[in-house]
Amino acid sequence: MATYSLYLKDNIGNEYERKNKYLLDLARLDEKISQETDKEKKIALQKERKSLVSNKKKHPHNVKLEEFRKKEDEFLRSVKAEESGYEKTLPTSLDSQVKDLKTRRFHHGKRMDFYKGYSELTYEADFKYRESKIHVEQIPEIIEFIEGIEADLAQAMEEKENIDPKEDSRMKEDLKSFKKEAKEKRDQEIQKVKERRKEGVISSKAETNAIKELKREYKNQVRLQEYKIPSVENKDFIRSKKRELRNGVRRSEKILKADVADTRRKIPVEYEKNSPTVAYLTPLVPGMGQLINGQKRKAMFFFLATLFIYLIAIPYALGYGNYQGEGISGLISLAEGGARVHKSLIFMIEGIVAIFLLLIALGLYYASFRDVLNTERDMIKGIRPSNWFETKRTIFQEGFPYVTSFPAMLVIVFIVLVPVITTLLLSFTNMNPQNQSKFAWIGIENYKLIALGEGLAGSVFWLIFIWTVIWTLVATTLAILLGFFLALLVNNDRIKGKKFFRTIYILPWAVPAFITIMFFSIMVAPGGVITEILNSLFNSRIEIKNDTTLTRTALILIQAWLGSAYVFLLTTGVLQAIPGDLYEAAEIDGASSFEKLRRITVPLVLFQIAPLLVTQYTFNFNNFSVIFLFNSGGPFDPQRYGNLAGSSDLLISYVYKLALVNQYQAIAAAITIFISLGVMFFAFLGFRRSKGFREGRL
Amino acid sequence: MTLFGGKKKKDKGLYLSDKPPLTVAGIIGIVTSYTILFAWVVAIVWPLFQMVVSAFNGQQQQYIMGNENFEFSLRHFEFLYNETYYLTWVKNTLFIAISTALLTIVMVSFTGYAYSRYRFKGRKASLMAIMLIQTIPTFAGITAFFTMHSIVSSVIPAFSRQMMLILIYAGPAIASNTFILKGYIDSVSTELDDAAKIDGCSNFDIYRIIIMPIARPMLTIIALWSFIGPFMDYLLAKVLLTSPSTYTLAVGLFTLVSDFRTMNQPAFAAGGLLTAIPIVIMFMVLQKQLVSGLTSGSVKG
Repeated sequence: MATYSLYLKDNIGNEYERKNKYLLDLARLDEKISQETDKEKKIALQKERKSLVSNKKKHPHNVKLEEFRKKEDEFLRSVKAEESGYEKTLPTSLDSQVKDLKTRRFHHGKRMDFYKGYSELTYEADFKYRESKIHVEQIPEIIEFIEGIEADLAQAMEEKENIDPKEDSRMKEDLKSFKKEAKEKRDQEIQKVKERRKEGVISSKAETNAIKELKREYKNQVRLQEYKIPSVENKDFIRSKKRELRNGVRRSEKILKADVADTRRKIPVEYEKNSPTVAYLTPLVPGMGQLINGQKRKAMFFFLATLFIYLIAIPYALGYGNYQGEGISGLISLAEGGARVHKSLIFMIEGIVAIFLLLIALGLYYASFRDVLNTERDMIKGIRPSNWFETKRTIFQEGFPYVTSFPAMLVIVFIVLVPVITTLLLSFTNMNPQNQSKFAWIGIENYKLIALGEGLAGSVFWLIFIWTVIWTLVATTLAILLGFFLALLVNNDRIKGKKFFRTIYILPWAVPAFITIMFFSIMVAPGGVITEILNSLFNSRIEIKNDTTLTRTALILIQAWLGSAYVFLLTTGVLQAIPGDLYEAAEIDGASSFEKLRRITVPLVLFQIAPLLVTQYTFNFNNFSVIFLFNSGGPFDPQRYGNLAGSSDLLISYVYKLALVNQYQAIAAAITIFISLGVMFFAFLGFRRSKGFREGRL
Repeated sequence: MTLFGGKKKKDKGLYLSDKPPLTVAGIIGIVTSYTILFAWVVAIVWPLFQMVVSAFNGQQQQYIMGNENFEFSLRHFEFLYNETYYLTWVKNTLFIAISTALLTIVMVSFTGYAYSRYRFKGRKASLMAIMLIQTIPTFAGITAFFTMHSIVSSVIPAFSRQMMLILIYAGPAIASNTFILKGYIDSVSTELDDAAKIDGCSNFDIYRIIIMPIARPMLTIIALWSFIGPFMDYLLAKVLLTSPSTYTLAVGLFTLVSDFRTMNQPAFAAGGLLTAIPIVIMFMVLQKQLVSGLTSGSVKG
């Protein structure tokens, strides 16, 4: 059995005496019981405690409390009537905002007087008394503030009526002539600055700055002059006062609420229960517990979660409201035996979505349960549950990262995770041309097929894999060497026209790759420019696109052409940043230029761009564009590659052909998983070596 | 050189350079360097020049042939405007690119800020999760994208394939750019935030008034790269977009060289030229920013 503590505690651990004498008696008994070692006496004390609990209603404190409750009811009824009576005595001409505030002030005055008498009896009354006191102290200030500004406004309005139109228009004329004068002066000044620039006294930057400065000055002068016109000044005054009024009231209300919240933290609450029960009774209905704890607005938000759980997540998981599927059970059945239009793939995706929805629902359940439990535990300690003002503040402070990154997480889950999981699951099924709309689970058959190189789709896997690896290594390394070498040449001190070379050399990077690839493809087609030149050089008929070796060579050359520009750009950036004194020191020590290159340039450049080069390799491993757009993976070689792939196909373009052209989705999924794991592994290696990861600075 | 303003008169008799005089081997080296450099200039310019020539060559028919004579004409451009959806493709691509960039920027700016500045529960776990997720290649989900779109569009009929494509481009971009921006904001000291907090700024105010202006250079880079992405991508657009009027430039232009029914290679050259020019100008002007975006991406975390 849980016990009561003698003292109440607030958030920061201050202790408070109990005001509830009944609970205090219980707490004292509890303490005695725990300290008592004699068994018989202990039993006697426990009996005493029991009788105390059973006579709870007769305890003098509780009797007083009952009385207080009755009076409170009475008071609340009467104060309403008095309030409306008071409202009638207020002049009708009064601003509605002021009227409201005055009524509030009246209400809290009465409230303060009533609760003052009971503040020793219970913390409840004490809190209400102090809350009202804060209102009584601060509302008059707000009213005064409003009235002050309204008086100013009224005066300004009066002045507006009294503005002499003749005087006003005269001033406007004045302004015009002033503007003209000032403009002339400004233009002269600008002219002077421009002349000085022409003489070469100041730099072009100084020129633009000086001109900007002059223009700004002119604007300010005109502004100042403008305010000398009565109507303009009056208008601006009214506008600023209105703004002051709006912001001022809002600020004061905020201060008031913050002060009340502060009091909430300082005055404890006495809770009759001594172990949390609400949290355990209401976990299935988020919002209910909050409502019982008296946090109405918070409860409303958790009720929204309840609606989501019971109207969306759970019905969806059970198969209601699905597009076709059956919720989670659709994952197992995969539409087997269903109607002809039912598609297994849809069942699968909807099952995955249902699982994610359920996960979100579980998260919401847990969040609500924790919230209620914490509030209740705090109440037992003596901490008052936070009100909406405080909750809002907490959400905006501690909840900020959750609230702001929630949409991004949603996109990542449903756009990235759901499709990837679908692919993963798909790789364990037999989705192929014969089983397009309905397919079934077949375990790791697909992985076996590709590992052993069997079956129609699996037989060419290793052939393609080897070419993919060769392609990745050769094409990327060639591009890197070429780009690095060119950057070294251009960066040589004695080479002139660096800018020209640099501009030309990054063109392959700047022109969209798909355009250049397609154009290269046109140029090497029969009758294309390159083919014609080669034919006349070798005096024979060369058909690049029909020859496996030639196509592959062409692809590697094109990729070198494309990729070198990027490496060139990166290397140039690093080379320019290497301090010259390094080389000078090396020269003094007698290093040859080759040694300088080997010991200074190469290590420095490599160190900086190595991670980017790794991404170049993974990029080329999955370089769909260049393969597909150049020759669609061809030339086709049915004797070695069957009908599904061409001899220049990479794994990724093979996956594309399998999944989207030939409808072997399942085995394509297995290959995709294979590629992804590989790419992820290399990416992870790269991360592990990155600075942030190693220093644990995540 | 211009330090003293006036022009320097060169004294022919004196050797004024601070570099040592060239040896014979040095001269040979320089000559070979120039030869190689110019050879590479030719290797780059010649194919591009061929493209320009065939775009303007009125003699070229359906196929671009190597041995045609040149005759200046704009008829391929006319064909592009009149007979193809070129303008629609441009519009589609711009729509997709701009939406992707906006979506990415808005979400990344929040996540980057949150992960850099707040120590909240589940931070490290979710960061690791994002790190893993962003290494998964986007094409891993291609089989599901199409079906997913038909499921969503059954609930929301206005959800077009292009919108799906935008989300597909934005999703991984959000994941990977969160790291880049987080790293960038990490490098800014928190003193400014603290000062703002003391002056009574809320979290959102700090985001808006302090972090956004500081992170603007990096956000510009992220926006640029996510804007360029849809221009360069062929695979995903090809998978999702099925009717010619919804194509992006890459998919649309490919129909001019791949399909026998719509084959018109010179028109492709013309379209490629029109597409490339603005992008090349953009790359040239924003070169520095684009490269710094790439290098910062490499030190994620």
